[in-house]
Amino acid sequence: MAFRTASVVALGFVVGPALWLIVGVIARAVPHWRWNVLTTVPLGNGGGLENALLGTLVIMAGVLVLAGTVGVLAGIHFAELARPKRNGRAGSSSLRVASEVLSGFPSIVLGYVGYVALCVGLHWGFSLLPALLILSLMVVPYIAKSTESALRQVPTSYREGADALGMATGYALRKVVIRSAMPGIVTGVLIALSIAGGETAPLLYTAGITNSLPSSALVHQPIAYLTYYVWTDYNQPSAQAHNLSYDAALILIVLVLILLVSARVIVYRTQRHSESRR
Amino acid sequence: MVDEVMRSTQRPEVIDATLAALDPDRDRPPSVMEVDSLTLRFGEKTILSDVSVAFPRGTVTALIGPTGSGKSTFLRTLNRMNDRVSGFRHDGDVTLDGVSVWAPHQDLLSVRRRVGMLFQRPNPFPMSIRDNVVAGVKAHGIAKGRQLDVVAETRLREVGLWDAVKDRLGESPFRLSGGQQQLLCLARALAVGPEMLLLDEPTSSLDPGSTESVENLMRQLTPALTLIVVTHNLGQARRVSQSTILFYDGRLIEHGATSELFDAPRDPRTQRYVNGLMG
Ligand SMILES: Nc1ncnc2c1ncn2[C@@H]1O[C@H](COP(=O)(O)OP(=O)(O)OP(=O)(O)O)[C@@H](O)[C@H]1O
Ligand SMILES: [Mg+2]
Repeated sequence: MAFRTASVVALGFVVGPALWLIVGVIARAVPHWRWNVLTTVPLGNGGGLENALLGTLVIMAGVLVLAGTVGVLAGIHFAELARPKRNGRAGSSSLRVASEVLSGFPSIVLGYVGYVALCVGLHWGFSLLPALLILSLMVVPYIAKSTESALRQVPTSYREGADALGMATGYALRKVVIRSAMPGIVTGVLIALSIAGGETAPLLYTAGITNSLPSSALVHQPIAYLTYYVWTDYNQPSAQAHNLSYDAALILIVLVLILLVSARVIVYRTQRHSESRR
Repeated sequence: MVDEVMRSTQRPEVIDATLAALDPDRDRPPSVMEVDSLTLRFGEKTILSDVSVAFPRGTVTALIGPTGSGKSTFLRTLNRMNDRVSGFRHDGDVTLDGVSVWAPHQDLLSVRRRVGMLFQRPNPFPMSIRDNVVAGVKAHGIAKGRQLDVVAETRLREVGLWDAVKDRLGESPFRLSGGQQQLLCLARALAVGPEMLLLDEPTSSLDPGSTESVENLMRQLTPALTLIVVTHNLGQARRVSQSTILFYDGRLIEHGATSELFDAPRDPRTQRYVNGLMG
């Protein structure tokens, strides 16, 4: 009974602030919501957030492709291929260290490093590519680590079953092992994506900001993102700017919710035949 | 009619000789697998000492012995499932049709395709029932497309599961009963066309009814296949096998015709074991 109460209280501590946050943003954003926020660019203190919405989507897509590929492959490498004959755990500890160091690293410092090395050093200026590289650097270890641990949790009996049928290791990995690790992998990638979508500091240093819509240019072209407006417009004196700040927050929350829902859908679709879902 | 013609024109020896000439296995060694003074270590620990035994084609051999005597380890060595265990070393040899399973030109994947395995706990893959049956077939490129449906149906019928699952081929295998899951794993193993099946306590997690269907199947699978079955169920060993091997502490203590080994054991340890006086 005491345990139950404690659990409920603990759950309250987790869910409470999240609900408070979501409800607070919705309550402040919805009353003045205009759909043209999505289709106009900022103008003075007003206008819309089309540039930032598209910019954030482009950044998330870029991180998905870049960090998703690198991170998942690295995770597979550490869980499956770097595993030596003698059941050791080579690599996994260095991965853990890398991931802990990088996640403990203030993101603004990474942003600054990106600014000095990429924007200035390589003369790329404020632009998409340095932003993607820095955000990916932040989340690749996270994705790799969650992929690795998801793969390690795949029951030995699946691998043995595949071995006993004479499946090649790579084939078994693709057809049996990864499939059963999919929820963990997908969840890791999506959390990484929402981290990337929610970052401000490293983007301030690498992406810059602009009122124009994203172009196809990878370098020499600043790109906008929602978190910039959440922050700056909140600190503006005008009510119009405040409203935009809440609109940006609302759009971000909706994006994250869409991510979470798609994660559930993917997990559901890949786990239709899983042992836990009977 | 045919019988009469046969009898009038041919004597039994001639028929035997004709049949023998038709036997696809006539040029192969009489034993599908031979184990020659196999000693196996995991690190410093010796698990199997000097085991020699031959498995005649088309027979069922039962492998019995107290827990920890090395039965599973022995079985897993035959299809090289132990190769990757840490500290694995072996002396002696295991040959499949006269060729060492560890020979450099021997293809590990084809050894495993030819020597199938069924585990103590049913281990279907997390995919649909149909995909489970054809998983190995696809991996080896034995069949594809519509042929896979035919393979799935044939194998499911072979193990007597077809009627129970024909309307739910796309569903999860984990909704099947334990016995049905084990039969599904058997269908999956049979689908790749093995010559041998290694069964490690295949019925120990099953109820008597399912156990009986698995045992019946084992009898039907010979002489097309050669089976080795590890079991703690002495009744099962008597029911399904022609010969029996007793392992004790990593050594092969006794090997003989099942009825002899049970009714007239030579070694006192065998005597105690088959009389239930030893775990
Ligand atoms: N991977 C391993 N590393 C080290 N020792 C092992 C390993 N696998 C098995 N052993 C040891 O080998 C011995 C034989 O084990 P094995 O599983 O073959 O016995 P078994 O006859 O199958 O027993 P049971 O009837 O309980 O299944 C045991 O002492 C066990 O501890
Ligand atoms: Mg065992």
